[in-house]
Amino acid sequence: MSDERTPLLEFRNVNTYYGPVHVLKDVSLKIYPGEIVCLLGGNASGKSTTLKTILGMVIPASGQVLIDGHDVTKWTTSQRVEHGISMVPENRRLFKRMTVRENLEIGAYLRKDKENLEADMEQIFEMFPRVKERLNQKAGTLSGGEQQMVAVGRALMSRPKLLLMDEPSMGLAPILVAQSFEIIKQIHEAGTSVFVVEQNANMALSIADRGYVLQTGQLVLADTAANLLANPQMRQAYLGEVQ
Amino acid sequence: MDWGKIVRQGLIGGVALSFIVAVGLFEAFANRMVIDPILTSGWVLVLWVPVVFGYRATRQVVPDGATVRAARPADIAAGAVTGAIAGAVLGLLVVITSAKPDVRDTLLALSPSLVQRLSFGHSVGYGFGVLTLGGAILGAIGGGIDLVPQVVRRVVSTVVVTILGFAFGELVVGDILRSLGLRSVDQFFYAQSRGLKPLGAVILAVVFVALRFLLKGKFKAIRERIPLGTGETEENRATRRNWFLVLGIIALAAGAWAPNLFGLYLNEVLSNVGLFILLGLGLNIVVGFAGLLDLGYVAFFAVGAYTMAIFTSPASPAFDAPPQWAFFQALPLVLIAAALAGLFIGTPVIRMRGDYLAIVTLGFGEIIRIAFLSDWLKPLFGGAQGVLQAGFFPGEQRGGIIVQWGLVLATIGIITLIVGLLRLNATRLITAGKMSDIRAYSQPVTIGLLVAGAALTIFGLVSPGFAVWKIYGIEPPSMFRITLVFVALAAFVSWRLRDSRVGRAWMAIREDEQIAQQMGINIVTTKLLAFVMGAMLASLGGALFAVKLGSIYPHSFEIMQSIIILVVVIVGGMGSIKGVMIGALVLIGVLGGPTQPGLLREFGEYKLLVYGVLLIWMMLKRPEGLWPEARRAKELHQEEMLQDAWLNVEPASEGVSG
Repeated sequence: MSDERTPLLEFRNVNTYYGPVHVLKDVSLKIYPGEIVCLLGGNASGKSTTLKTILGMVIPASGQVLIDGHDVTKWTTSQRVEHGISMVPENRRLFKRMTVRENLEIGAYLRKDKENLEADMEQIFEMFPRVKERLNQKAGTLSGGEQQMVAVGRALMSRPKLLLMDEPSMGLAPILVAQSFEIIKQIHEAGTSVFVVEQNANMALSIADRGYVLQTGQLVLADTAANLLANPQMRQAYLGEVQ
Repeated sequence: MDWGKIVRQGLIGGVALSFIVAVGLFEAFANRMVIDPILTSGWVLVLWVPVVFGYRATRQVVPDGATVRAARPADIAAGAVTGAIAGAVLGLLVVITSAKPDVRDTLLALSPSLVQRLSFGHSVGYGFGVLTLGGAILGAIGGGIDLVPQVVRRVVSTVVVTILGFAFGELVVGDILRSLGLRSVDQFFYAQSRGLKPLGAVILAVVFVALRFLLKGKFKAIRERIPLGTGETEENRATRRNWFLVLGIIALAAGAWAPNLFGLYLNEVLSNVGLFILLGLGLNIVVGFAGLLDLGYVAFFAVGAYTMAIFTSPASPAFDAPPQWAFFQALPLVLIAAALAGLFIGTPVIRMRGDYLAIVTLGFGEIIRIAFLSDWLKPLFGGAQGVLQAGFFPGEQRGGIIVQWGLVLATIGIITLIVGLLRLNATRLITAGKMSDIRAYSQPVTIGLLVAGAALTIFGLVSPGFAVWKIYGIEPPSMFRITLVFVALAAFVSWRLRDSRVGRAWMAIREDEQIAQQMGINIVTTKLLAFVMGAMLASLGGALFAVKLGSIYPHSFEIMQSIIILVVVIVGGMGSIKGVMIGALVLIGVLGGPTQPGLLREFGEYKLLVYGVLLIWMMLKRPEGLWPEARRAKELHQEEMLQDAWLNVEPASEGVSG
């Protein structure tokens, strides 16, 4: 699939090591503006490392990371966040002893246009009215579903161009998983590109435009979501189909 | 009656009594009179035990964490039995000690004179009987305390607090009376050999009981006018702000003038409290705000003290021609040195967390102390001899000019204050009951005048020339004033930092460092900033310490200092600015610091014992500190209540049915 547009995020032959362990092996991927892309893979396949490499919390040994066409391989996490990358972490990881409002404010930590914060918060309340009700409550006292909303809200407060979601279905009841993916669709419709890292391949592919499959650090499949869903190899390995 | 509980509380009380006697507290205070010659403080240290345990034996805890006591006559009997058991345990200790004098080989305090004293000059059997009976009577008082009318309890508590307060505060009260020229009053109330005279004690008790009942409800009425926690409307917030402003100005004015009355001792104690508030506020930024457990914090205190010393002392080992700067000239350098030290210690440990950080900072603290002690740096810092004559101000030429400035500033300040107070309609403010609408008086102009006036007055008063400089160190009242200004500054800085963007970032790092980083917070600079800010506040304390003592030695900066500062922060309430102040006031002011005497300086060598007991009690009963940040108190107590409810569900339902 060739595309003339500049990718929002691009990996060019990225190799990442944890000490002697070769985690990401020659990974190349692209995310274009307006897409939902998912990254599938089992445990220890390198999914989280991919996200850490995007955010600059892990620096690749070779290869390049590009955001909007800029080579950001050497940039700090703060610079990348400022450039429009933001993440909803695995298990939500809210600042539990801070209030919901404080959590949202920390999300906007690098924003210079403080005068727009209230308006942005209103937008988040529109998406999640529950968050507004809980605004002055400690984040740790919220239910799992509410925490997910706050985590997404916190990530959106930096006005990202690309939202990274690490295992949004992890630790949530099935009904909340569906809700969670509904949220992703909403965010996407509001104009933010989304990169979802998931083990729940069915769910992820049902909303994604394209998908990558990572296996022990190597990309083994890259295709449109529809093709991946139809791919027999894929069905067997990840979609739980018994031969 | 719950016999198991009674026996248990009685035995614990007995162990507590035996402990107090066996560590020597009873003997050490045996000759220190509270009321001469009726009551010694040794007995005071012992008498409270059966009362408290008699009370504890009869109370009940219900699931929601509250203590409920149904006052029944049987409680008196239960308390009496508890007290008797406690007294008997102590009596047994006396019997054993007299039968086997070689217990003294391990427990030095169990001396023949102690046996003599606790058997009241008769046989040990007699002593055993009296102790048991006495315990029973006191225990009965404790157990039956809820049976007497509230009025009686109020009278008794007021009498006890008044007499103990005046007896232990003898030195301070005496100093204040003397500086007011009332030496005869001092002699009327206090005996020659320390302690209150019986008549004096009676008069004081009567006066304070009368005051308590006359003033009853007055403070509450005033306090209720300050809207605290009653709906956060903008109006409430404004009213509260104005109240605090007025109270703050009164406090500042009092702080500027009162030290003249305090006498040497109280000024010394209060300066030490201020010093530890400064250190505590600094450590609070590092530990309380950013969650970085720094056990080598005393290093920054040392850097501040040494920098101040070598630039002000005429005997400075670092220079052939010592610069002999004035305090405020050297202060910027002190702050710069501390900031560099903060970077120096902070940089290598930036990736560490929790226990590892604590251990490494502990090591760094020692490295800095040993560096100051070393022969290698002796040409700079004087090695074990330290730096003498810090804060030495020779001649009057420089001082002369500053005196003028100080007086001018103070005069302008006082005039401004008076104008401000007139605008505030001070007479109407002071006459009680007319405070209803303080907002009307507090227009911006008035507030501006008051703040400017207070600031000018205080800076005028503390400016080097106004204070009377002595050859070594400075006069205690001036010292206290300067400390007070620094504390106000540090508290303001802490407060602004806490609510600032970087304060939020610290909080986020404390909560979850990795996620904080993902939110775009620069972990390295934010943590370093915490170290640097903490170091700068500590160095202010160090600078004051240097000119106060006049001589600086490495042994003033032992690990114990770091520990005590941390204890101040923990006891006060981690992360809470007012908590640090209360913590320092209670620990350093009342008990005394590691090398500084407190108001209860009689405790001397038992200070650390009391620290330990207090710390354990705090961790069990008030883990959030004496005056915590609101958010943290709620949190800990929510958890605790849930735990209590969980643990007590079974026993409580039994209690109801049986």
